[in-house]
Amino acid sequence: MLGEIASNLSLGLSVAASPEGFLFLVLGAFLGMIVGLFPGFGPAAGIAVLIPMTFGLQPTIAIIMLAGIYYGSMYGGTITSILINTPGESATVASTIDGYPLAQKGRAGPALVMQAIASFFGGTVGVILITALAPSLADFAASFGPSEYFLIIAVGLLMLTTMMGDNKFKGFISALIGFAIGTVGVDVMSGQQRYTFGSPELIGGVYFVAVAIGLFGIGELLHCIFNGQHRQPAKRLRISFRDKEFWPSRQDYYESRFTFWRGSAIGFIAGVLPGSGATLGSIIGYSVEKKVAKDPEKFGKGEMRGLVAPEAANNAASAGAMVPLLSLGIPGSGATAVLLGAFLMWGLQPGPLLIVNDPEFVWGLIASMYLGNMILIAMSIFAIPLFVKFLDIPYVNVVPVIVLLCVVGAFAINASIVETWILVGSGLLGFAMKRYGYSPAATVLALVLGSMAEETFLQTYIISQGTMSLFWERPVSLVLSVILLTIVLVPAALAVMRPRKAQAAGEAR
Amino acid sequence: MITRRTFSALAVATAVCALAGPATAADYPSERLTYTIAFGPGGGNDRMSRTVVDILRKYDLYAGDIVVENREGGSGAVGFSYVSQQAGDPYRLTSTSGNFIGTPLVADTDWTYADFTPIGLLASDAMLLVVRADSDVTDVDAFVEAAKAGRVTIAGSGSAGPERVTAALFAKAAGIEFEYVPIGSGGELVTALTSGSVDAVVANPSEVAGQLDAGTLEALAFSDNARSTNNPDVPTFKELGYDFSFSLPRGVVMPSGLAPEVQDWWIATLKQVIETPEWQEYLVKNGMSGNPIWGAEFAAYLEETSAQYRAVLVEIGAIEG
Repeated sequence: MLGEIASNLSLGLSVAASPEGFLFLVLGAFLGMIVGLFPGFGPAAGIAVLIPMTFGLQPTIAIIMLAGIYYGSMYGGTITSILINTPGESATVASTIDGYPLAQKGRAGPALVMQAIASFFGGTVGVILITALAPSLADFAASFGPSEYFLIIAVGLLMLTTMMGDNKFKGFISALIGFAIGTVGVDVMSGQQRYTFGSPELIGGVYFVAVAIGLFGIGELLHCIFNGQHRQPAKRLRISFRDKEFWPSRQDYYESRFTFWRGSAIGFIAGVLPGSGATLGSIIGYSVEKKVAKDPEKFGKGEMRGLVAPEAANNAASAGAMVPLLSLGIPGSGATAVLLGAFLMWGLQPGPLLIVNDPEFVWGLIASMYLGNMILIAMSIFAIPLFVKFLDIPYVNVVPVIVLLCVVGAFAINASIVETWILVGSGLLGFAMKRYGYSPAATVLALVLGSMAEETFLQTYIISQGTMSLFWERPVSLVLSVILLTIVLVPAALAVMRPRKAQAAGEAR
Repeated sequence: MITRRTFSALAVATAVCALAGPATAADYPSERLTYTIAFGPGGGNDRMSRTVVDILRKYDLYAGDIVVENREGGSGAVGFSYVSQQAGDPYRLTSTSGNFIGTPLVADTDWTYADFTPIGLLASDAMLLVVRADSDVTDVDAFVEAAKAGRVTIAGSGSAGPERVTAALFAKAAGIEFEYVPIGSGGELVTALTSGSVDAVVANPSEVAGQLDAGTLEALAFSDNARSTNNPDVPTFKELGYDFSFSLPRGVVMPSGLAPEVQDWWIATLKQVIETPEWQEYLVKNGMSGNPIWGAEFAAYLEETSAQYRAVLVEIGAIEG
């Protein structure tokens, strides 16, 4: 077992540590940190926009770079959370709760260093778990037929509700928009075309990368301009790592020694489950840490453990999310959905057999994540003063660059103007969704998962002659069906019970 | 003329002189060549096109520069349309595959296979009928009997793709009925079979090669005219008495309206390409058989394949007759 892991990793290292692999890994990690730094411009949009940059590369190298952007953004996203109370993306929202108060107390330096260490710890624990679990997960996945896939996707779709924000109704509408877009293309059963209006570009369906760039990139941009962010003067911040106050104290390390482990474990589990991912992981990581602490009243006022927990969790989650992506081909978040698109574009079919058919790719990617986390911790600590400088660029100058990147990115997908129109349309949609509190992430995930759900459901339907018996006749399906029903029925049952209890309590009084 | 093939630029130039006569030969390959790939990077069509271009470059078979571009979209509709619009331009090449035949049948394209100058079919990419190694069915006859006795499910990629055409042609030849399960792509297709969800799959050899080697899956028959060099033990449907064959044309075509000398020049050049060890390696690696045909014969093959394809699509109701 251990020998096998070692040989797999050395195979991976031979790819990831090659001069070309290493160069693009560093580039990806660096770009990821920058992507994470810009508020609203999260990893999903970052990867989508930079996909065309990788067209000339070898597939493994390209994916190593794109994955670097993905987990690199988790490092960068926290920097703005701590310094200006603006999370770079949703997974670092929880880090603002204690990160910003730390900066206000004059401990921005220790906070930034500690988040880098927590990120490294979480990320590395996550990759170690992938290394140990990925092969057995692949065996398990070979027993997955259409009925099991459908049920897993259905569970993922249910998890979507946790990402929808407070207003579930608006979240469902967002997801339905994604399902609607997903119906464009070819009907799975008959091969007839749906909503293509005779356009050959639409036969393959609406390419979701254009939709993702539009919803996240252009949509967020329009929303920032709408809020007048481009008129605000850039804030100037000065930090030097030569100061003694730059580094965390011994007490910081001592107090959070268990926090690292708890955060990483929670984050990894949340990441592995499709549909929850880093955001949920960081929120659960934070709340568990607060629950187990003897002094919960310190949290929210600049407590180091309150920063370490979500940071270890979101990085472990971003590693964990690679497990369903690589072994089942199921993306757990908007960013991994865009990564899935990139895999497919390179002819790499994520799924149970990826690790069998393309071991160089899978192990190269996993090995690159070890290296990437090492690069990122060094980069975060030594380049903190430099990254802080990026925030000095006035937003008004950032806008045209992002628009250019988005339009070029969308056009380059197929060298066709159709995708550019899709970009413009989904950009306006993204703005409206942001403005009125809808969830673009739910739309993108529904677009990806919706067509997968439709296909696998219809396959199950054909195989079982329309009886759906496969859902309970096959053992793995039965287990998944029970889990699915539990997720749906338990909250519903609680909702029915609760008013009765309240009523009973009222009567007793 | 030329008695011995050598891979030097000089010999090629001489060959051209000998084949095409002094006037065209002196100036035909004088400009930059654009090789358009109608699909994205990394797919089957892309791999084949880039292999051809790499061989042309390595052995200096083409004197000028070669530019390779991917114009994907609409299952090949976009890229093939672009090349067909370059009628009369002798510096345009593109590779065919299943969609070259299939897409014009299902979509409203401004081109069909007949709008191109056929050069050659370099390889045929046929399909295997595959079952689980631990299943009771060990040959095609047993499969047919099982189908006559009860209900069988056969899965394949896509709802109206070459896999379905192969399955439908087999069912017709064997006089059986089956339930076709369209499954997205290679990986899911294989797990549909390994997980025991379906009875058999029709798959491209490259999609199941790993599982066949590992012995978890077993191939019953091959849909080409001759046995594959990679799976010599697997009989063809034809030799088992099921009279049909179907394969994807992995070939090279050019825009219409070209001088016959240009077509001949490329036939001669591609004949050299398929003699190289690199090309043989490509065939082995991708599980294809190399039974090349050229020019007019290739055109006839495209016509026949298109007619077969069309008949099946009409039968399953994907298009109107």
